Amino acid sequence: MAGKIYKCLNPTGIQMPAQQFPLAERIDKIDGKTIHLNICGEPDITIRLERKLVAEYPQVNWLIKKTNGIDPVRMSEEEKKTVDAAILGVCW
Amino acid sequence: MIELEKAGIPTILIDFFDQDGFVDSEAQVLGVPKLRYMHAHRIMKGTEDVERFIDEMFDGITRPLTDEERQVGGMWRPDESRILFEGSLEDAEEFYMQAEMNAYQGAPYARYTDGLPIVVPTEERVEAMLKGTSHAPNEIINLQADIPVRAAPEAIGNDPTIHKGEPIRYMPTRRVATVEQVAVNAVMAGCKPEYFPVVLAIAEASAGTGDGRNGQGFIVSGPIAREIGMNFGFGLLGPGNPANITIGRASKLMWRNLGGAVPGITVTSNWGDNPAVNTGFCIAEYAGGLPKEWMGLNEELGYKKEESVLMVTHPGSFGIGQHFMPGVYRALQKDGHGAMARYLGVKGVPGPHNWLDYLCVGLWADREGGITLMMIAEMAQHLVDIGFKTKESVAEYIWKKSFEPVKEYRMRGAPDFATNGWRSIERTSGKPWLELDDDYMVPSGGDSPRANLILVCGGDEETCHRFGGGHGQPYLIDNWR
Repeated sequence: MAGKIYKCLNPTGIQMPAQQFPLAERIDKIDGKTIHLNICGEPDITIRLERKLVAEYPQVNWLIKKTNGIDPVRMSEEEKKTVDAAILGVCW
Repeated sequence: MIELEKAGIPTILIDFFDQDGFVDSEAQVLGVPKLRYMHAHRIMKGTEDVERFIDEMFDGITRPLTDEERQVGGMWRPDESRILFEGSLEDAEEFYMQAEMNAYQGAPYARYTDGLPIVVPTEERVEAMLKGTSHAPNEIINLQADIPVRAAPEAIGNDPTIHKGEPIRYMPTRRVATVEQVAVNAVMAGCKPEYFPVVLAIAEASAGTGDGRNGQGFIVSGPIAREIGMNFGFGLLGPGNPANITIGRASKLMWRNLGGAVPGITVTSNWGDNPAVNTGFCIAEYAGGLPKEWMGLNEELGYKKEESVLMVTHPGSFGIGQHFMPGVYRALQKDGHGAMARYLGVKGVPGPHNWLDYLCVGLWADREGGITLMMIAEMAQHLVDIGFKTKESVAEYIWKKSFEPVKEYRMRGAPDFATNGWRSIERTSGKPWLELDDDYMVPSGGDSPRANLILVCGGDEETCHRFGGGHGQPYLIDNWR
């Protein structure tokens, strides 16, 4: 005699549907652009990175924000309108 | 980054290689699945590492998109069924215990469990669990009251509140869950239906998933602890009490199943948790043991004595603390004998004596921050008898013991992070950290006395215990009855 068949439920919750977007178009060059450098934590890498970018890439207008925390400092809506690209260093 | 890409700003993320799984998951869930990222090195010197990756970094924002990156679109909608398995109980037990090879761990990792056998969540058992609440099975778990956001102001914008009704997202995968899905996990953990309101309050507290790395536990205060048979006495941190153990376990199953956490894949969690609490942590306050002058935890948190409250805590940071044998404590308080009496200079003088002066020696030697101090009823009464008429006065006394010169505080591990690289304001002085003299005294035991939590629980042996402290976010269990 076959044993009883049970229906057993899924414990994994619901992944909400998400509209998928392509990446933003890349910039063709960095010269003359405003690039946002957003730094979180880990100064051994980021101090060197910030210094190098400012010293060796003066043709770029650097918009730099940094925190020792793990949540990036946000740009204002006005700043977003002027930024051409962004680099986010999350090395906490 | 995701919002910048959506706004048309090209980005590149610098992370570590072992964070890729989490980044991929976040990128998919938030809608930009082809997010570009690259790796910093965990070991290489920063100066060398920058030279190594700088070309790749610029390449990430200048290299034209590939067809694959450009052709992303549509709605991502994972296929998830309510019924996960059909078959005999024996086959179901085996199914739920399946494990997958985890490349980063180099060992199997349970797909639906904490690694221990579970109670198979049949429809019938889940239906029985749902009788433990008045909430509908298909209700999405959501906040039952407004709560403050705990993050730096510059990171969260203008609204410091998460509002009532907001669906709870379980990290690291940002899933949501229905009441029924929480019941599935409660059944698997071995909970009884009468425990379910506590489990639902844990679910409202995002099941302790935090930012995905887990490590949170829960303290229950109020009548429900006694109603459902929680252990707040002898052995409350150990095995044997069905309510404490299974409720705590349910939180870990929710972390695995609702959060989708897989260490090394979707979350960077090096140690996993404190091994003493890795199958869950849920304990209760001993309301009957409180000195009559002291408030219960529920009242401290702004609720009424007859209301049942769940508070989030951090038992993962257990400390050993100052050690003494129960007999040494009794000798101190009875007749002024023994080591504690010698240390306190009260040899031969009957108690009560202030045992906090003994406890606090070296308390912050290896870890700054507040403590949760668990003490038995007798020891709490001794504190009242020598003048600590409130828990707050105990918390403040301990906090004041933690002060040390700035020059010593600057040597600690976490303040580089907590002070935002010493660019923030020191709270007791109201001045910038960098303007303080080396000898200025600052607390290593948290920002305020409220960093400490005083909890009366345990049996009759005269000892205390401690772990990471403070008053965590409370959730009203009664909302889930």
